[in-house]
Amino acid sequence: MAESYRRSRWTNGLFVVPYLSVFLTLLVFPLGWGIWLSLNKVDLFGGERFIGLKNYARVLSDPIFGQAVKNTLIFVGVSVPTLVILGLFLALALNKTTKGSSFLRGLFFASSILSVTIVTLIWRIVFIPNDGLMALIFNYFGWQPIGFLSTTGWSLFSVGVATVWWCIGLPMMLFLAALQQIPKDLYEAAALDNASRWRVLTRITLPSIKSTIMLVAIIQVVMQFQLFGQAQLMTNGGPAGSSRPIVMYIYEIGFLRWDIGMGAAASQILFLIILCAAMLQYWVSTRKEETDA
Amino acid sequence: MKALNYSPEHLTSNRRLFWIAAALGVIMMAPVAWIIGLSLKDNAELLKGTEAVFSFPYTLVNYANILESSSVFGWFMNSMIVAVGQTFGVLLLSSLAGYAFARLEFPFRKTLFIIVLFGLAVPEQAVIIARHQMFNWFDLHNTHIGLILPNLSSAFGVFLMTQFFRAIPKEIDEAAMLDNTSTFRIFWKVLLPLTLPAQATLGIFTFLQAWNDYWWPLISATKSDMYTLTIGIASSQTNFAQSEGLGFLGAQAIFASLPVVIVYIFFQRHIVTAVSGGAVK
Amino acid sequence: MKKLLLGTTAVSLLALSSWANANTTIELQRFFGACEAEYGKTTDVSAAVGECGIITTLVNKFEADNPDIDVKVTTVEWPGYDQLNAQLASRSAPDVVSMHYSAMSDYQSRGLLVPLDKLLKDQGIKATDFTDAAISSVTKEGKVYALPFDNWTMLFHVNNNLMKKADLMKADGTPMLPTSRDELFAQGKQFNEATGKPYLVQVLANETATYARIFYTLMMQQDSKFFADPGHIDLSGEDAKAALTLMKNIMDKDLSTKNMDYPAAVSAFANGAGGIAVNGTWLIGSYDAQSKQANNALSDGYSVFPVPQFFKQKDATYADGHGWVVPRGDRSDEKMAAIGKLFKFLYDNDYEWSRTGHLPTVKKVIASDKFKSLPHRSDIAKIATTGQALPAGVLRQFAIQDILGEELGSAVTGNKSIDDALETAQYRINDLLENI
Repeated sequence: MAESYRRSRWTNGLFVVPYLSVFLTLLVFPLGWGIWLSLNKVDLFGGERFIGLKNYARVLSDPIFGQAVKNTLIFVGVSVPTLVILGLFLALALNKTTKGSSFLRGLFFASSILSVTIVTLIWRIVFIPNDGLMALIFNYFGWQPIGFLSTTGWSLFSVGVATVWWCIGLPMMLFLAALQQIPKDLYEAAALDNASRWRVLTRITLPSIKSTIMLVAIIQVVMQFQLFGQAQLMTNGGPAGSSRPIVMYIYEIGFLRWDIGMGAAASQILFLIILCAAMLQYWVSTRKEETDA
Repeated sequence: MKALNYSPEHLTSNRRLFWIAAALGVIMMAPVAWIIGLSLKDNAELLKGTEAVFSFPYTLVNYANILESSSVFGWFMNSMIVAVGQTFGVLLLSSLAGYAFARLEFPFRKTLFIIVLFGLAVPEQAVIIARHQMFNWFDLHNTHIGLILPNLSSAFGVFLMTQFFRAIPKEIDEAAMLDNTSTFRIFWKVLLPLTLPAQATLGIFTFLQAWNDYWWPLISATKSDMYTLTIGIASSQTNFAQSEGLGFLGAQAIFASLPVVIVYIFFQRHIVTAVSGGAVK
Repeated sequence: MKKLLLGTTAVSLLALSSWANANTTIELQRFFGACEAEYGKTTDVSAAVGECGIITTLVNKFEADNPDIDVKVTTVEWPGYDQLNAQLASRSAPDVVSMHYSAMSDYQSRGLLVPLDKLLKDQGIKATDFTDAAISSVTKEGKVYALPFDNWTMLFHVNNNLMKKADLMKADGTPMLPTSRDELFAQGKQFNEATGKPYLVQVLANETATYARIFYTLMMQQDSKFFADPGHIDLSGEDAKAALTLMKNIMDKDLSTKNMDYPAAVSAFANGAGGIAVNGTWLIGSYDAQSKQANNALSDGYSVFPVPQFFKQKDATYADGHGWVVPRGDRSDEKMAAIGKLFKFLYDNDYEWSRTGHLPTVKKVIASDKFKSLPHRSDIAKIATTGQALPAGVLRQFAIQDILGEELGSAVTGNKSIDDALETAQYRINDLLENI
């Protein structure tokens, strides 16, 4: 009997049909259709005309796209390590069963359940000039006010602060879960050796959760590359495009300038960039393991 | 040093770290306290300067105004319908597919699984413009279905469920097979209950993602009846000094987050276990 | 029993009849902000202040006057064209939408707007009822595509109280305003030294529109033909350089507030943070109302004037306006009739709208004593003749405004050189226009 259960049958495939049909119609087809659109001169209201790779040429020669790529790379490059290190720190600090720790764990994860518009609303009212919380604090100490949302450099930083505030919960939770998985006897041995905390951290804890660190980093890289709502709602990409991410560029080309052919081309390029970044990370991590072994 | 000291908690953590974390917690809460403060102030008073937050009188007038006239309720219902619908859809499709990929044999199983895994790498941005056009063809914009459908194609759920079904010992369904149970019954009655923790993890992830989704509802739910909470709140952030005032906006943010925060406080333990469950693999 | 039966019948008949007379619903989508909390319930138009208050109460009043018509209002984030584009693409555009004259060509040229000649004629509204500036802005290829609602320009809103402190008042009680670039810097310096506050309150953050509008104004004052060909912008001349240099010098010489976004700038001026707010006609009503209250920064000390002429060639200022359009779509005759009624109502109430500070579009209103006796209107009367729009053939004016504003902003804040900013702006705008 068990033998027949394991046998290959067409009918068994029926279980995957519902998902596969959704997968094909809503992911595979639009992916192909998007590539087709990117090869056409086409706007929101129609008018398809095949133009080959011209849309790609326009995107790649657009200085604003270059700026958006740079902004996004900086954003990912700073926010992801921050999220990983801060998440790891919080996990280490709160890996206890006390009431206080459990309360703080709940607190740090709580912001993740808010929607992006509420997060940005909150942070906008913190950062706005004159009336914002930061303005009041600066005023109280008599410091020179900073235009957090309107100064080159600060605007992307402010978007990053809101993002870290919003996203810190998940990395912390994943690290906590990983910490719980470390076998206790490793620590027993360390205690017998009278190892210092730092040694325990670098020799036992961190190596044991290496794969989780990688997992968190990859998840965050993929997520932060897709930055859009925070930037659009807090700074609208400004000033002078210094906080405009790639996704916002795509949105603007498609829905403000109507040019969905060019928008589609930009989104295929974004797809490639994310794919490369994730693969690079994966490659780095596996190569490291090999050299470690 | 006491003997107890070798417990992992004591070696990875200490009092000083805890207090640093607590301080960070205070910083974390400051913006929220700020917004709550603003929401309790009269807008006219705030227009003169927001330092007013730190002194009496406080008022609930902004909340009363929301209850009277705001569209927050409608937006909230839309978000609920979409998030719940999407969660159930993803759980159902992913469980069915995950079961088959993990425990059954059928032609092209491996090939299909690899293709699905490739789907993991496709971000929403790569397909959203084409999807928007497709949904135009079928008049699916400004409908709940139109908001639910796109994320059902996410390959993450299938991947996660396949992993979990694989982890279940083979003896369990083989024993059931001896009783001549149908494949579907084995799935439904025997194995599915065993994946509950995984369902919770996937469910919470999906729900949160749907709840926070921004770009798709922004271009699909363009009629105010169909706004989700995310889009509705965004639409009311316009020119805020000129119109509603900071107090009202703050009250709206607090009010709109209240339901999920309450759910979170009650189910915190479950949510935490579920989220951590995702990392076990 | 009989009574009860009769009663039930009556009630059900009533219910039936109200069902039979199912209301016509007009979906109206607009910017101008949301103020449900303050004005959601009131129909007292004359007590309302500001764009949001007046349009909200106007719609409430219309609904009260026409119980068989419901107007469902959606407020969009200014200017809301991305959302409208998504709606039009999915054939779910609302019935009535607020639109800038400068955005109309985009939609009209693609057949996305319904011509309104018949609808207006049925309501007894003639093209000649409107000012020439208004009607010509909404007429494309011989047809009318919008109900013109107002014309507006940027203005100098002045805090007389602070100007007095800086000794910048004339004997007749009006503020002394610069008549040249040199005077601008001299008076700005004098103001700053006397009050410790910046001379100008400008919207410089998270917005592109203000930069572009000021730039257009300065270009027009030089009688520049930067859009001689509507498919091509020319920013390579000395005129563009002069305009941007002036904007940059204002910042470099600390003549202006910095980092303020639109709401911050609006409330900063109201709180006395600077001498002159460079902002639109739409704020006159609100600031004037504030000046009539005691104990605030503007009490008894508000006035407003056109943007001074900084270049000798021409007295001009960039102007645009708001209209109401009907996007393409299937609509019943009843619905079109209801929209007609709404437009007639808005037309009839153009005076109320002009209380915001906007210029009315209806000739009758402009000639009326009621309008003339509104405060400050005589001081800004000349914008009706000096106001000037971009050539109607220029498409994607909002996208152009975004690009231009972004590049001008880079130069003004010193992130790019003036030449570099103008060159990039020209390249980007022409790339956009060439690829429509």
